[in-house]
Amino acid sequence: MKAKGVLWLALANVRADRRGALVNAGAATVGAAALAFFLALGLGVGDAARRMFPADARLVDVVPASVSLSSVLGGGQLDDAAVARLREVPGVDDAWPRLSLRVPVAAPRPPEGLKVNWPPGMTVQIPVVGVAPGLVAPDLGPGARFEDPPPGGAIPVVISRRILEIYNKTIAPAWNVRRLPPGLSLVGIELPVRVGFSIVPQKTEDRVYDARLRLAGLSDRVPVYLAAMPLDTVRRLHREYGKPDAGYTEVTLLARRPDDVPAVAAAVRRMGFSVDEGERAVAERVGTVVAVTTGALAFVAVVMCGLAALAIAQSLSASVRARVREIAILEALGATPTDVRLVVLAEAALLGVAGGVLGAALGRLAAIGADRAAARLLPDFPFRPETFFGWPAWIALLAVAVPALAAVLGALAPAAAAARVDPARAIS
Amino acid sequence: MIALRGVTKSFRDADREVPVLRGVDLEVAPGELVAIVGASGSGKSTLLYVTGALDLDFGGEAAVAGRSLRGLSAPERAELRNRSLGFVFQSFNLLPGLSALENVMLPGILRREGAEPVAALRARAAEALARVGLSAQATARPGRLSGGERQRVAIARALFARPAVLLADEPTGNLDAVSGEAIIRHFAELAREGLSVLVVTHEERVSRAATRVLHLEDGRLR
Repeated sequence: MKAKGVLWLALANVRADRRGALVNAGAATVGAAALAFFLALGLGVGDAARRMFPADARLVDVVPASVSLSSVLGGGQLDDAAVARLREVPGVDDAWPRLSLRVPVAAPRPPEGLKVNWPPGMTVQIPVVGVAPGLVAPDLGPGARFEDPPPGGAIPVVISRRILEIYNKTIAPAWNVRRLPPGLSLVGIELPVRVGFSIVPQKTEDRVYDARLRLAGLSDRVPVYLAAMPLDTVRRLHREYGKPDAGYTEVTLLARRPDDVPAVAAAVRRMGFSVDEGERAVAERVGTVVAVTTGALAFVAVVMCGLAALAIAQSLSASVRARVREIAILEALGATPTDVRLVVLAEAALLGVAGGVLGAALGRLAAIGADRAAARLLPDFPFRPETFFGWPAWIALLAVAVPALAAVLGALAPAAAAARVDPARAIS
Repeated sequence: MIALRGVTKSFRDADREVPVLRGVDLEVAPGELVAIVGASGSGKSTLLYVTGALDLDFGGEAAVAGRSLRGLSAPERAELRNRSLGFVFQSFNLLPGLSALENVMLPGILRREGAEPVAALRARAAEALARVGLSAQATARPGRLSGGERQRVAIARALFARPAVLLADEPTGNLDAVSGEAIIRHFAELAREGLSVLVVTHEERVSRAATRVLHLEDGRLR
């Protein structure tokens, strides 16, 4: 029999037992809907988590060892020689030193050109770290420069992309001040600051002068609580205020590939340094939690598809037993045992596919409902995604394929039983 | 068109073999309507199933529509049944989930080589139903048809593939006198058109229309 004939007969059988078909397809629908919903939820939440903890899989942050023999003996210091040696570690593409600014910088006024309800008399202390330009070069705004400015020039700074979100979702509503516009539209704004001034009087330097910070870019490579200045600017300020540099605070290594990171980290530790895995560890933990939860929910959904397949198998087994005579008639009219087997499998596949298509649609609708409920019920919080679901095309394909495949697998035994029917015995 | 030589068949009952056919010789030529009569349990249906390539577990030689049934693979047997044989059963054996028209077109659906499009099959099935006077019942399920109408649908299905051999097992057994007579006349007409028609029955009225009547007793034809 041709494939069209197999399909024609399978459809005829489904039509003949509409109620049973509805029950079976319904079971497959529930499994497929759960599968699509949970997988999409996992992807959406995973995306949101990555936006919240955007750890670069190739970056390794090296810090001086807190307690080690080499640090006691004067080794383990992150100086230029150490940076050069770190750059030579196999698997390392580049090394960018960081140096915390030990001169206080504070902002007594709001950024220029930006309407913000700055509370009267408020001064904001700005923690600063100096970074090598290469670290933030990919994240600079168009035309922005990240280098120590000439005397009187605005100091370029790069801030974390995440600080904007946190400001807009927590600080701005709490202070009832205007929210900042998103992304690079902020690049170029200037913030008047007082260099050497601290809100803690004892920490204010003898010399305080006015300067301007100019936003040069937004980067995930800058810690969320710091503003990054050019390394040369930090060194200059240290010189101006007589604060000798005892080595870098941290060195960021860029591994060639994410797979190189463990070997690079091990080599770094052998050199007597420590690896700061704070951000990476949080990102990995969050990623693992999301992946494990998604995997568990997807597993439950696959089990539901399996149960649907069992229901279909049981129903088809009963149907085959009840249709032994019909199967014998088909064979008398020219069907081979293989044809009979294929018709039963096609019947199962039809139910699985129908359930899968309906389930994928139902899962999508449930996701839309969940998003709407979240928008209405959840408070606005930093990094709250517009949707908690990700819908790449493969989810719909999987939601159809899994119940269809499960149904076909479940139908193998009934199909084999159908193919074994002895037509002479069944008809007589 | 039908040639059986020394066909034997037995069934196993507990530990012993029970012979049903004990060396049956039979030839049915094109244009013949042969009736095989015998008591219930005499093996008439078994003989029909052997002839129809539905039961291969037999001894002797059997050839139908020019093909020996021995050594045929399952697909070859299916092809033979689909193209060269038509079956009519006492209990009609229509598929209850299909309409009369869909039942008639089934042999076309099951065809492997040279299958026609479904639309063409529908058109031919409608013609076949019209020939047996059932155009108005084309969309009806078998459950809504009378016994005579169901048997006419079964005959239309049996003839749909234009077979060379028609095998009928008690075709009038479930019909009233009028319907039964009509079916018998139809069979005689088909034989005159050149079909080899083999009918197993225990009804005298069928025998009267046959060109030959054979009696199956103790597993042998007389």
